[in-house]
Amino acid sequence: MSAASLPRRGRTGNFWRVFFIGGLISYRALFYWITPWQYIPTMLAAPLFQILFFVYLGRATGVGSTTFFVVGNSIQICSMSGIYGMTMALANERQFQTLSPILATPANRIALFLGRGLPVLVSGLQTTAFGFLVSALILNFRPAPRALPELALTVLITTASCTGFGMALGSIGLRARDIWLTANIAYFAMLLLCGVEVPLRQLPGALQVVAHLLPLTHGIAAGRLLATGHHLGAAWPDIWEELLVGLVWATIAFVLFAYFERQGRRTGSFDRL
Amino acid sequence: MSAGQLNRHLYRSGPALLGWPRQVVSGWWYQLKMQAQSGFVVMVSLVQPLIFASIAMADQQAGNRTLPLLYYALGAGIMGIWSTVVFGCGGALSWQRHQGMLEPLVMVPAPLVLVLLGITLGTASVGLYSMGATLLWGWLIFGAHIHLVDPFAFVIAAVVMVVALGLLGLVLGATFVLYRNANALSNALEYPVWLVCGLVVPLSLLPGWTHYLAYILAPTWGIEAMRTAALGGNPWVPLLWCAVASVVYLGVGVVLVSNVERLSRAHATLTFQ
Repeated sequence: MSAASLPRRGRTGNFWRVFFIGGLISYRALFYWITPWQYIPTMLAAPLFQILFFVYLGRATGVGSTTFFVVGNSIQICSMSGIYGMTMALANERQFQTLSPILATPANRIALFLGRGLPVLVSGLQTTAFGFLVSALILNFRPAPRALPELALTVLITTASCTGFGMALGSIGLRARDIWLTANIAYFAMLLLCGVEVPLRQLPGALQVVAHLLPLTHGIAAGRLLATGHHLGAAWPDIWEELLVGLVWATIAFVLFAYFERQGRRTGSFDRL
Repeated sequence: MSAGQLNRHLYRSGPALLGWPRQVVSGWWYQLKMQAQSGFVVMVSLVQPLIFASIAMADQQAGNRTLPLLYYALGAGIMGIWSTVVFGCGGALSWQRHQGMLEPLVMVPAPLVLVLLGITLGTASVGLYSMGATLLWGWLIFGAHIHLVDPFAFVIAAVVMVVALGLLGLVLGATFVLYRNANALSNALEYPVWLVCGLVVPLSLLPGWTHYLAYILAPTWGIEAMRTAALGGNPWVPLLWCAVASVVYLGVGVVLVSNVERLSRAHATLTFQ
């Protein structure tokens, strides 16, 4: 029997089954922080304290308004899910020695790969929504009501973009020995490079170029414009660039995934730790 | 030969008063060497503090407040020490249990608290990397003026603070072992302590009720002592409070570790994961 004749529901049905159900199962199996005991301290409390810390640092240095730091950090915390979540969703397969069986299946690789991003994306949106909500409650953050849907769109695109970046890191984790170190450094470096805590103009020219190639930078810039009363038209260029950056990272991620799968088959290194 | 005689013969080559410090120093040195090999520790004690120091100093340069760069370089250094302590010491006991080492450590004649003290002091000492790194970084990249008004008091303050944080780590390790998700608790405890202890945000900017929390945390007094030694003022009073806090942490740590040991023996959870 050929691989193509195996699925009963046809190729399209299987694609979506692997995408939705496979993605959800892998999230439940591989995302460390899914239990309330892990999720609340890591995905809610830590981001909340991060927002407070940088808002007060901003007040101490007099560099920006509360809105500057609330928007920057509330959007940035989605990358906790995007970066760490995607790294777990891909690299943990190798850690738990389940990569070989998965790659032995005829499952569509795009469905297998992208499906893991969906729960991570939803989790990132939850974290950012929580950040904005708590900032409204305790830091008196008040964006214009008409800006809320536009802000939500910006957050959705930025979270997707971060997930694409996380996919790239996760793909590297299929081969690299210690991807967690890289993921940690990437997460913290983005605080500095993406204009989250420091105005971009304050960075040296070379770092500004790097910033434009990373997710978050344009999304946060758009979010700040919308939160301070600018119309969507003013934020569109940044939103488009954020989307483009995300697509580029997702493409890089898939190419890396395919490359490491081929390399793993050739060298038998799928489960080598 | 009775078990007591055998223990004395095996364990002590001299009186306890000499054996105990030797045991702590051996544990400290071993831990120092072991931690220096860990990529995660290097990230937490070197890379992360440099990123936070860069953020704080770039914000200082972009903003309109006049606290000196050295203020932020010192604060970011202690932030790094705290991160090392909260991750390294918080999970110290849990990690030994996870590795199956807690049972042998409890079985040996040496008091468990001394074994842990070596681990927590060693971990806190590794954090000193971050202090050196942020000072050097501030001077090289941001042109911070590194002039210590009282170098002798500065060194004493650094040593006392590391000891205080190591002892606080003992308390954390003995507390976190009761919580199966100690790493999640560590994630949530980084930012609040950085904020409440006034490491890069002056305490005067924070709500009054947070000051009570600050006073019971050694980093508050440690940073105050180091800042006054570096920038001018009387470092000896905060240094004294830092030492007092250390003694209190030691007392609490001894009681907690004894309880953990007793309960783990009684409930047979020394190897429980």
